Amino acid sequence: MANGAEVLYVLAAVIGLSLATWFLTPKGDNQTVWRSSVILTLAMCYIMWALTYLSQLHPLIQPMRSDLRPEFAEGYSEYYGTE
Amino acid sequence: MGKEAFFRSAEMSLVQLYIATEVGREVVAALGELGSVQFRDLNADVNSFQRTFVKEIRRLDNVERQLRFFSSQIEKAGIKVNSVPGYADVTAAPHSNEIDQLAIRSEDLEERVNQLIESNERLLKKQVELVELRHVLVEAGAFFDKAHNVPEELRASVDNDNAPLLNNDVEQGDMSNGTTFSVMNIGFVAGVIPREKMGTFERILWRSLRGNLFLNSAEIAETIKDPKTDEAIEKNVFVVFAHGAGILSKIHKIAESLDADLYSVDEDSGIRRDQIREVNNSISDVEEVLTTTQSTLYTELQAIAEQIASWMVVVKKEKAIYAALNLFNYDQSRKSLIAEGWCATDDLPFIKATLGDVTERAGLQVPSILNELHTTKTPPTYYKTNIFTESFQNIIDAYGISQYREVNPGLPAIITFPFMFAIMFGDLGHGAIMFLAGLVMVIYEKRLLKAQRDEIFDMAFTGRYIILLMGAFSMYTGVMYNDIFSKSMSIFKPGWEWPYTWNEGDLIMANQTGVYPFGVDPTWHGADNNLIFNNSYKMKLSIVMGFCHMLYSLFFSLVNYRFYNSKIDIFGNFLPGFLFLVSIFGYLSFIIVFKWAVDWYGIGMAPPGLLNTLIDMFLSPGNVQDLLYEGQPTVQVALVLLAVACVPWLLLLKPLYLRWENNKIKKQGYENLSQQEVTRLSFDEEAENGTAVVMEEMHEEHEFEFGDVMIHQVIHTIEFCLNCVSHTASYLRLWALSLAHAQLSSVLWTMTFERAFSMEGGLGVIMAFVLFGAWFLLTIAVLVVMEGTSAMLHSLRLHWVEAMSKHFIGDGIPFMPFSFKAVLEEPSA
Repeated sequence: MANGAEVLYVLAAVIGLSLATWFLTPKGDNQTVWRSSVILTLAMCYIMWALTYLSQLHPLIQPMRSDLRPEFAEGYSEYYGTE
Repeated sequence: MGKEAFFRSAEMSLVQLYIATEVGREVVAALGELGSVQFRDLNADVNSFQRTFVKEIRRLDNVERQLRFFSSQIEKAGIKVNSVPGYADVTAAPHSNEIDQLAIRSEDLEERVNQLIESNERLLKKQVELVELRHVLVEAGAFFDKAHNVPEELRASVDNDNAPLLNNDVEQGDMSNGTTFSVMNIGFVAGVIPREKMGTFERILWRSLRGNLFLNSAEIAETIKDPKTDEAIEKNVFVVFAHGAGILSKIHKIAESLDADLYSVDEDSGIRRDQIREVNNSISDVEEVLTTTQSTLYTELQAIAEQIASWMVVVKKEKAIYAALNLFNYDQSRKSLIAEGWCATDDLPFIKATLGDVTERAGLQVPSILNELHTTKTPPTYYKTNIFTESFQNIIDAYGISQYREVNPGLPAIITFPFMFAIMFGDLGHGAIMFLAGLVMVIYEKRLLKAQRDEIFDMAFTGRYIILLMGAFSMYTGVMYNDIFSKSMSIFKPGWEWPYTWNEGDLIMANQTGVYPFGVDPTWHGADNNLIFNNSYKMKLSIVMGFCHMLYSLFFSLVNYRFYNSKIDIFGNFLPGFLFLVSIFGYLSFIIVFKWAVDWYGIGMAPPGLLNTLIDMFLSPGNVQDLLYEGQPTVQVALVLLAVACVPWLLLLKPLYLRWENNKIKKQGYENLSQQEVTRLSFDEEAENGTAVVMEEMHEEHEFEFGDVMIHQVIHTIEFCLNCVSHTASYLRLWALSLAHAQLSSVLWTMTFERAFSMEGGLGVIMAFVLFGAWFLLTIAVLVVMEGTSAMLHSLRLHWVEAMSKHFIGDGIPFMPFSFKAVLEEPSA
């Protein structure tokens, strides 16, 4: 089971991509705009993903429902297999 | 940094231009084409009637008036005006002979058009008169025939008893010859009167003549056009018979006062017949002439319509040139114009090249000279935007113009604005619709730029890149929230597994088998406790996002202080502010993430409540009920103490330091040093150039007032500390709006499309079709357009208030260069 280290791996990847963006952006009239926009996009998307991932890492509550029909289980295990 | 200027506004130079009077117009025209100099008004104390080029502007005003007259006539004639052919050459400067020709030409044309219009009006009037006369002649004939019978009856009643039959017969014979009225001394007035006045006319006549009249009227079937006002009026023909010259003249006056047109009609039917024939002939003559006149006018106007748009452009540009020239100083003795203006330092070579070109083209010996001036005036703020960044810059400029060379909040807003929007609008389906709308506008950009756009579409079109990015990020957050039109997607294997068997209606719980790698697990979708999970997740997400956004913005203030080289602001403003924000809200964000990262059930501990932890942190520091980690009380006490210490630090350090510095300078006797330095500097400049440059330097150095500085700092401190609290709370709108959006879209689905699934047979088919339409239309109108607008406004507020208050100074002056493009884009008054 996941232990949360993925968040750090992806962080490293995002930092790597940001650095690459910083150095690889071609010089020109729009260098600053490209750098700022790409790195900010990476950062915001990362934060959003990481928070979403972390919030489900060690859940304190489990999904509950009472409206599932028993047949659902069959199709469900067929589709995803059983572990 | 080269030529790009978006992170900070472009470096500006104040330049002085010496231009030979002969080429003044050409130089300004060339600069207008270039569009990168903002001229300063050097004649601010001269009123607009006393400036050098008033005469030229008057002349152009006259031409403009003539052109407007033409276009109103063209519109009246219903001719379509050709738009300016080719967009490219619009910004080119007009030649001086071009404008002269245009002035003469429009003068001639005005005269001709006026003549044509005048004769047209005259002919129309004539035509109306003739038509009315014809009606009078025709209708009056009928009256006369009728009227002939009336006197006979009158007579009959009077002479009934004793008149010999023979006499009557004789008179009857006379009547048929049509000469009885004069014999009876009865006169008549015939004419045409507007139908609505007929009643009044009748009543007035009756009263003023005490009933001594005989009035006949008939409605004219066709409406008659008033040649002056071009209105169609319904009219009546009338004939009044009365007795005596005095009464007849009275009738004349009354009729004229009521806008009646009187026509002389002969009572003899033979002459009337001749008259009718004559009138008919003249009408056809007049109509013929009228048609020729009108067609001449039409062709004339058509020829003008083809060119009027480009003429208007020429005149507008020419007027702008002279308006700019009026800002210049005119040196009588040296026959030269002196201009001052702001331009980007990077643009100086272009401007110099332009000046050189003009001088060369004119073949002049004296070159135009460009001097850079040193000044203490605040230069205008000029961001070099492009088609993409422009709309984002507009968002910022709507709030305030940045100070010269401060960090431009428009740069991060390119991403943060659409992203904050997307957090509130997270839905893959809705995001895709918005993205496609933006994409279409971007792809057909060139075609749409040329087309006429109405007001609302123009707003959307101006923000097409914002819409594109908002759509794109909404698709990302939609995947994160696992929402597509309120339904979920199972792209990856879910991290929860339902039990293998259960009975219908059982409350079942899923077991965790892993973590859904990208976004919210689809298993939560439709779960009974879905809202409990989403509520906690989205609230914490918005707090952490808000903290990151504020911290990021706060760092821009550090960048600003470093750029303006203000150490005291770094240590007296940024550092305490940063520590205050981080020690309270940074810590809050930290414990949110920390609590998520720890497997509480795995280590056999009860998960501590964050709310109580935070409340206890302030109400009873050092007292923690459920520990998050070892040493938590100590850390929290330290953080609270640090935050509390930051307040007096933020409040006092800067004012006290400034006072100390000021006293030190005073003690050494250098009180007015900075001012003297400035004056000396500009003096040196003058000596070097060898010209008598008159520069009004503004001395904005104020006496140091400790009270003022202290008050400012008190306000800043209170504002900053309170804002940290209220702004963090304000980011909770991300949570509220994203929950509301998800709920609304799921309610819409259940209320419309889902209903169709429970119906059967043919009805089900039809209802599925109808309800899908309702669902889709409401999705576009309510969820995408209305909810999108609301989320956009919230995102706008987060940028203007929550983010920009952390660093934005915003007391800049916008750079408004003299350019033909701007002149032509202005709506014509």
